[in-house]
Amino acid sequence: MVNDKHSQKIVDFIQNWSRKHSIWVLAYGTGCGAIEIPPTMTSRYDAERLGVRGAATPRQADVLMITGYLTVKTLKRVIRVYEQMQDPKYVIGFGSCTINGGMYYDSYNTINVLDKYLPVDVYINGCMPRPEAVLSGFAQLQKRIAEGRADGATQYKENLEWYRANQKRIIPNWVMPEYNW
Amino acid sequence: MKELKENIIQRLKTNFADAVAGSEFSYNRVDVHVKKETIPSILFYLKEEMGYVHLSHISCVDWLEEGEFELVFIVWSPVDKVKVFVKTRLDRENPVLENIDMIWRQANTYEREFREMFGIQFTGLVAPDEFILEDWQGPPPFRRDFDTAEYAKKTFWNRPGREDAQDVRETISGRDGEEIPDFAKKYSR
Amino acid sequence: MRDKATTLYIGPQHPGITGNMMVKVQVEGDTIIKARTEVGYLHRAFEKLQERRNWLQSFTLLCRFCVPEPDPVEESYARAVEMLEGREVPERAKYIRVLMLELARMGSYLLWYGGQNGSLGLYTMGQWSVGDRNYILDLFEELTGGRIYHMYIWPGGVRRDLPEGFTDKVLRTMDYFEKRLKDYDDLMFTNTIFQKRTQGVGVISKEKAVEWGVVGPVLRGCGIKSDIRIDDPYEIYDQLDFEVPTAEGGDIWARALVRRAEIRQSIRIIRQVIEKMPSGEIYNKIPNPLKWALPKGDAYARTEATRGEIGMYIVSDGTVNPRRTHLRGAAYVHGVSLLEDLLVGENVADISAIMNSLGTCPPEIER
Repeated sequence: MVNDKHSQKIVDFIQNWSRKHSIWVLAYGTGCGAIEIPPTMTSRYDAERLGVRGAATPRQADVLMITGYLTVKTLKRVIRVYEQMQDPKYVIGFGSCTINGGMYYDSYNTINVLDKYLPVDVYINGCMPRPEAVLSGFAQLQKRIAEGRADGATQYKENLEWYRANQKRIIPNWVMPEYNW
Repeated sequence: MKELKENIIQRLKTNFADAVAGSEFSYNRVDVHVKKETIPSILFYLKEEMGYVHLSHISCVDWLEEGEFELVFIVWSPVDKVKVFVKTRLDRENPVLENIDMIWRQANTYEREFREMFGIQFTGLVAPDEFILEDWQGPPPFRRDFDTAEYAKKTFWNRPGREDAQDVRETISGRDGEEIPDFAKKYSR
Repeated sequence: MRDKATTLYIGPQHPGITGNMMVKVQVEGDTIIKARTEVGYLHRAFEKLQERRNWLQSFTLLCRFCVPEPDPVEESYARAVEMLEGREVPERAKYIRVLMLELARMGSYLLWYGGQNGSLGLYTMGQWSVGDRNYILDLFEELTGGRIYHMYIWPGGVRRDLPEGFTDKVLRTMDYFEKRLKDYDDLMFTNTIFQKRTQGVGVISKEKAVEWGVVGPVLRGCGIKSDIRIDDPYEIYDQLDFEVPTAEGGDIWARALVRRAEIRQSIRIIRQVIEKMPSGEIYNKIPNPLKWALPKGDAYARTEATRGEIGMYIVSDGTVNPRRTHLRGAAYVHGVSLLEDLLVGENVADISAIMNSLGTCPPEIER
């Protein structure tokens, strides 16, 4: 890498600029919010003009979209998927359920606060968020990437113990590999 | 329609001694209460002899106060155009019923669910133990004595301000240079 | 030479899966010898939560049962509550309900057009039909305020009357779709890839369909004429003139033909409903919802949705909260035991197409 402080700034700028124009979203509909993703991606709203498009596997994806409520069973898979994704990676919490449990706040099987388990960069509120709101969320994420503020993945690595403790608290049978980044 | 329904009841009563007609007669439905031992034979009779070929639904109701589970089998005949509700009661302490998935194959899925959610055992059911839940350690969750709100409060965090949505308003005001719009202030408590 | 059997996990994160579920298959070469579905990734325990809500509050939960087409669930529940209480529904409300249900049916089929073709790698269709579906969602938005979740049909009628000029907009949209569906045929049904990939794949015989409790378009694709709108008519379907299309073969192709014909029947029903719609009340007012207790008893109402028969069984113990509500989803039958059986002997590449053609909707299975 470049040692000079000023050159680093320029490199960062170019890096972030190119990252923000190519956001590949992992095709994982974790909840009912997945129904507004096809309209967002297809002809009327056409998210691809912002550089947003689908990616089939975690290793090619940049963004993990948590579309709605997360059950405990899905959370286990989502953590696995998130840890398989390669840097740079971002998490978008989609819908009220990810923020504070939404209407499932008293359900025994859904988590209430997503950012206790995964680092969330952008929340999109509403139930269901409209495609315009989804696009606005992507624009917000792009803004944060450009400013270098979308550092959820770094935070996850730094505070891994805290996240792990939270995750293991609700997932009793932890049989997942420990990744060593 | 009324004659047809009484005919069905009569036919079931003559063949099954413990069949008792329910009080509900409206909306092209017939209710029959039987003992749990009769369930496989009455359902088989309805399907093979009377043309009730379609199993529409199986449901389970927890009557906690009476210490019983009620199982409801809803079958439908495309010829008679009548729904027959076959109901039976199981003891809540030791709920066991005979497996009926050789009569209707889709009953298998229902039985797996009831085994997991209510703890009802079906003798002769061949299926993996887990259906919906994974590594569940509590009591069967759909029983009425299981308090889901209490469990959720204990297990998952609630975001502070969940009750009065204060955090949402603070987030709105905390965003770069934005203020709480007037319409939102109006709803502040 | 036969290969050793390998286990593949299709899902829950897989672009071809219809929602959040998993199919675990054992394959020899690329032929499936054993399949096992695993569900439960979307279990929110609606029925448990409804015990804590009152009869009207349940509606916010109800429409989340199945996202592509929430209205039949609302309709089933509303009708079950009306049966239990003996509440009359005004004539106009019945017409509006049918209009709503048929629009929802069209929207769901348009999504299916995209999904079925996407599962075979034909992505243009999805761009067209999912894009066109927005026109129907626009109508919903104008009528109810929400694109996806409506909470519009409720006990005693519907929530609000049609806005001014709404029926004209519906008719214009129907005109558009009548023209547009011809393009879909050119792209989809005359396409050799689509024909070759679907004919003779995922075959369900007539006997098997009855034995396994198959419903809806899948049953009609086996050549059996069965539709709840005709057999057990609700609202005003017995006064309308429409056909129940069937097709022979029981494969994906036959099911696609049934759906193709049904979306045209929906347009026909919508035109009739608008023509015949009477004026008058839309809502038989319910008492204060917080104190609204239903009489003791149980009721079961069924509705024909795009995936098949949707039923709602409700039990009241005479209080303001339901004792038990239990949804019967079509995918509950199709998506678990039938799918497991149907996949044996098929190709791995066809899993997604078969799931789409059965209308597998995981949130309906685990609720």
